[in-house]
Amino acid sequence: MITAEDRRELYLGAILLTLVVGHWLAAFYYAPVDEHQGEVYRIMFLHVPSAITAFASSAALAVFSVLGLKRRSEASLALAKATAEVGLLFTVLTLATGSIWGRPTWGTWWTWDARLTTTFLLALLYCGYLLLYAAMPTGPSRIRACAVLGILIFADVPIIYKSVTWWRTLHQPPSMLRAGGSTMEPEILWTLVLGIVILCLYGAWLIRFRSRNIRLADTLEAASFDQLQT
Amino acid sequence: MEITKLSFAFRHRRLFHNLSLQVGAGELVHIAGPNGAGKSTFLATVAGLLTPAAGTVAYQGSDGPIQDRRDALEYLPAEANGLYLKMGATQNLQFWSRLRGLNLSPPEIWTALTPWNLNHPLLRDGFAVEKFSTGMKRRLALARLQLSPAVGWLLDEPVYGLDAEAMTIFTNMLSQHLAKGGFALMVSHDLLPFAGLITKTVVIGGKPGTVEAA
Amino acid sequence: MSSPFWRHYRTLVSQGIQAELADLERLVSPVLFALTTLLLFAFAIGDVEPALRVHIYLAETFLTALFALQINFSRLFEPDRQDRVFDLMRTYPVDHTAWFLAKYTLVLAMGSATLGPTLGFAAFVNQSPSQPLFSWVVVGVAAMALAGLAALGVLLSAMTLKANARQILYPLLYFPLATPVLLAAVQSSQLYLSSGQITADVRAWLGLLLGFDVIYITLGALLFTELVDES
Repeated sequence: MITAEDRRELYLGAILLTLVVGHWLAAFYYAPVDEHQGEVYRIMFLHVPSAITAFASSAALAVFSVLGLKRRSEASLALAKATAEVGLLFTVLTLATGSIWGRPTWGTWWTWDARLTTTFLLALLYCGYLLLYAAMPTGPSRIRACAVLGILIFADVPIIYKSVTWWRTLHQPPSMLRAGGSTMEPEILWTLVLGIVILCLYGAWLIRFRSRNIRLADTLEAASFDQLQT
Repeated sequence: MEITKLSFAFRHRRLFHNLSLQVGAGELVHIAGPNGAGKSTFLATVAGLLTPAAGTVAYQGSDGPIQDRRDALEYLPAEANGLYLKMGATQNLQFWSRLRGLNLSPPEIWTALTPWNLNHPLLRDGFAVEKFSTGMKRRLALARLQLSPAVGWLLDEPVYGLDAEAMTIFTNMLSQHLAKGGFALMVSHDLLPFAGLITKTVVIGGKPGTVEAA
Repeated sequence: MSSPFWRHYRTLVSQGIQAELADLERLVSPVLFALTTLLLFAFAIGDVEPALRVHIYLAETFLTALFALQINFSRLFEPDRQDRVFDLMRTYPVDHTAWFLAKYTLVLAMGSATLGPTLGFAAFVNQSPSQPLFSWVVVGVAAMALAGLAALGVLLSAMTLKANARQILYPLLYFPLATPVLLAAVQSSQLYLSSGQITADVRAWLGLLLGFDVIYITLGALLFTELVDES
């Protein structure tokens, strides 16, 4: 049975998805060709927004984790778990697009570049979070353990980023490409900013939708237990 | 000394709901109910190991509310004894009583072990508890209970694995505890030894918990 | 001092040490694991150009230490897991910060017992007449690394206490979170050994290591309380 609320939720998702697709069209037809890289730079319009969404997810994960510790509620755990899933999705997307972009511009599929390495570690940490979630029995101890890990992950990302940046930039000149930098043309800049905003919103919607999903599964389980008792 | 429980519900798997109970000094409350009804969960909740989804437990001393319930309660789980299995009996008792703020010398510990038939140099020192039999481990856990200054005992199947002799010792110890103004909440499949001691029975089932006077 | 905090701390530390001594295998096996790993590295790497020797030595030493310490850390709560000691402890009037500090102290001691032989043996087998590798600065760096890792280790141990498949879950959480330590330890030691003095670069890496220590010890003390606390 689809309630009015479900329907609203789905409409909102459909609108956001349309915006995402619309932004891709803008990325292909509105933004001008880059003078150095040619057409291939357009992958940036997917790569940079998903990277930002991936890292913003780690901040959201920390927020939901703190909430989880404060309220000890399954609702905040469901939100945190959904955030980790969405974060993992976007880190993988970032890694894939980064790799595809790296081949023509750097001449290699992979390099231990600071950002790539940090993103890779973030993907592993999201996986770790989901594994911990799966390995714990339902209940308050899972809420607490997952919340602690969520906070640890968020606290670790800046240290990892800083250490990897030093590692990769202290001894060799920064060979990585700067995403346009200050020389970016206004059309490109606006398309990019729009893309970031849209993808972050879409990510937020995914988190909401997914956490409702998790809660629903919980309710279903509780209901079947009740059934068992009567 | 009085403990007041208000209302309980356990969210995900609803075990007991709106269970209210008051326990005063000298009372032994028997928690009854079918398997899986939530008797052990109830005790663990009172012990503070689990968070109730709703309701609170209030601990009231004879001179105002208790600051830290952990000072007033001693919990004995059902399927475990809470012993360091690789260590000896004396070491175990010394450790737990130190955490309670008691500084007992080994001879004092041995005195506590004597009624339980564990005060033998070969048993009490350097003999890993894991080599004890089920009943011996339970006796050791009960010896710790006896040493504890806590007024409230939360006993989950306390006589599991005990022989007739130890059962008698335990019953005496429990009645002494109650006579001194302590109280206990107990889950036990075997009620015969406690027939005269139980003052209240709480039935936990699918329906809201009810309290009956014994 | 006889405040409850220090009484709990002392009781828990002495209990922890007794529990370790009651089961000596727990102390010895990480060291044996480290020696085995160093042997494997020697097989895998073989002869090394003199120019690369220092780098390789440090890389394999710190990697080995990271692996071996994981064994120490992941088994920290093993004696407490048996027979529901951990749960009983939570019903006892124990100060949770004292509990964390006691576990932290214990893991520092156990970690040092693993780290010392690892560092010594690695320097011993990798040295050459022209290149003595043992250095107290490297030991100091390792000690700094241990200070942060131990806090992380206690926290992860308490976190995964009730999880299924702990043995595989633990390294999957520990290694990614420990990468900054490995990096900072290897880089600072390498810069020091190649220049022979503590340069600004070395200091920068040590600063990172120190930052990591501070963050993990603080988070450890705060979050451990949250993990064991109820209601």
